[in-house]
Amino acid sequence: MSFLTIDNATKSYGSVEVLHRVDIDVQEGEFLVLVGPSGCGKSTLLNMIAGLEDITSGTISIKGKSMNGVHPSNRDIAMVFQSYALYPNMSVAKNITFGLEMHKVPKAERETALRDVAKLLQIEPLLDRKPGQLSGGQRQRVAMGRALVRNPDVFLFDEPLSNLDAKLRVDMRTEIKKLHQKLGTTIVYVTHDQIEAMTLSTRIAVMNGGYIQQLGTPKEIYDTPANLFVATFMGSPSMNLIPVKILEENGGLVAETTNGLGETIKLPFATPPAGLKDYVGRTITLGLRAEALTDPDGADSKAVNLVTVKSRVIVMEPAGSDTFVMTEFGGQDCNARMRADVQVAPGEDVDFTINMDKVVAFDPETEDRIV
Amino acid sequence: MSAGSTDTAVRTGRITRTALYLVLLLFALFYLLPFAIMVINSVKPLSEITGGNMMALPQDWTFEPWVKAWATAQIGVDPTGLKPYFWNSIKMVVPAVAISTILGALNGYVLTKWRFKYDTLIFGFMLFACFIPFQIVLIPMARILGLAGLAGSTPGLVLVHVVYGLGFTTLYFKNYYQVFPTELVRAAQIDGAGFFRIFWRLLLPSSGPIIVVSVIWQFTNIWNDFLFGASFADFDSQPMTVALNNLVQSSTGVKEYNVHFAGAILAALPTLLVYIVAGRYFVRGLMAGSVKG
Repeated sequence: MSFLTIDNATKSYGSVEVLHRVDIDVQEGEFLVLVGPSGCGKSTLLNMIAGLEDITSGTISIKGKSMNGVHPSNRDIAMVFQSYALYPNMSVAKNITFGLEMHKVPKAERETALRDVAKLLQIEPLLDRKPGQLSGGQRQRVAMGRALVRNPDVFLFDEPLSNLDAKLRVDMRTEIKKLHQKLGTTIVYVTHDQIEAMTLSTRIAVMNGGYIQQLGTPKEIYDTPANLFVATFMGSPSMNLIPVKILEENGGLVAETTNGLGETIKLPFATPPAGLKDYVGRTITLGLRAEALTDPDGADSKAVNLVTVKSRVIVMEPAGSDTFVMTEFGGQDCNARMRADVQVAPGEDVDFTINMDKVVAFDPETEDRIV
Repeated sequence: MSAGSTDTAVRTGRITRTALYLVLLLFALFYLLPFAIMVINSVKPLSEITGGNMMALPQDWTFEPWVKAWATAQIGVDPTGLKPYFWNSIKMVVPAVAISTILGALNGYVLTKWRFKYDTLIFGFMLFACFIPFQIVLIPMARILGLAGLAGSTPGLVLVHVVYGLGFTTLYFKNYYQVFPTELVRAAQIDGAGFFRIFWRLLLPSSGPIIVVSVIWQFTNIWNDFLFGASFADFDSQPMTVALNNLVQSSTGVKEYNVHFAGAILAALPTLLVYIVAGRYFVRGLMAGSVKG
């Protein structure tokens, strides 16, 4: 029995179904991130877990108890909102203890809980201030304090970092991760930022159009995306997609395409997915992460099946830690992640090494990964 | 908002500016002159008014007309002055303003944060209260007051004014709460606060400016109302405005203009006072939500 079970949950507004038969099991202590573009239904799902939106059909249960129709305050959950939603007329201390007061916790206990949380989040000097007098990062902490003080079964985060500036966002991300490691609480976290999803989660649910596209660990999502949507949505830069023709040669499968010079190149598969045999003679979409396309010296030394091909450099973007080189395969722009000090110039023809261990193949019609 | 007003003003040259001030001064004079004449003549003996210049300052300063208007002037059949009617008005205005403001706030809260089916339609109907002319409802209202046993009483007048004011107060509070973040209400729900708790602890404490707008608006309208007062009140519940009319109508022999002037000012004073005390919040509240803070 899992800790938080979402079983066949559906949400409709009138005749429009916005969330279709969602099934997710969350174990105790897990950090589940719901990620997807805006309008994919991730916030709706979170609000359904919180009880702020009704469930049209299906059930959501916490600790084996069905939560359908249970008021938000009786679900033993706490939520951190995107806008923080701090009560503007109350002091920080009142903001944090308001929930305890509503649940009729005695005053002495409230004071102790407040002190503990304030210490944990290092907001002790702020307790008498009003939310209007706090900076963005401080408000964020207070919002988390308000959730933590309740010591709930499940924490819900609704894009909590999207109102912070870039640097603070990275700091707070680490802070949330630390907090999770320290407290071991169960967290459901909504974001549209795939980096947040990758770094924070123990599992990710990628959503689009009201469907769960893929549910898995960050590594599974990144290395073996279930379909083209997941492949392009997750990862930055997004996965290179090259149209290739599958041929059978010497008993093995090869992918035939063109390089940036217009020459035909052949990329042999070492361990092709079983289903790929059915695509011989047809064109498929080959997915290639930027770090699986690099300069020969920068290639993964543990990789078994490296193929080096020539192509033309279109654009070069030094990013400090890496240099991104854009070239062309099969008529598509492709990003290669090369070493920082690589010596290439636009217009030059250089060697690119492709790590064929890491390629994934997609059916261009169904857009699903070929397994 | 008030501090920034000079910064946002359009820059103008000296000549335009002078012309601008002259025009403004002229308008101010235009509005203030009648009031000045009322004040001047209310502190004159009657003989100076009838025998001389209305514009001249009094030669004998006297507050006798004020005392007379307040305490001894003939109103209808009794020489009671305006005093009892002033209290009638207070007894009518205070509950009517309080009830219509609180109900308006509750309506605004429900219409923005607890949406239900056809809520915009219902709000649309409530807005009719703002636009239906008073005289149309006189007869149906008299019938209802009669059925409720409230005819000719102060509670009846309170009911009439609450019903009529609700449209406005609901409109004010709805617009104000529209921009109040719904996430706050949701956070309070998760914290375990119920419908009324959220209203009392969260929304009302944040509603200062719009409460002031609602109170000023309602106070001014209800205090100044004549038609409902004249139609639905008995002698012992008549408001100030009706009494003022009776004061002017029921002179025995000579028209005591100085007493009339004093009475008119007395009738206008409370609204003036409310506006002076809370006026600066009025504009601020009216503007609330129109500009992103």
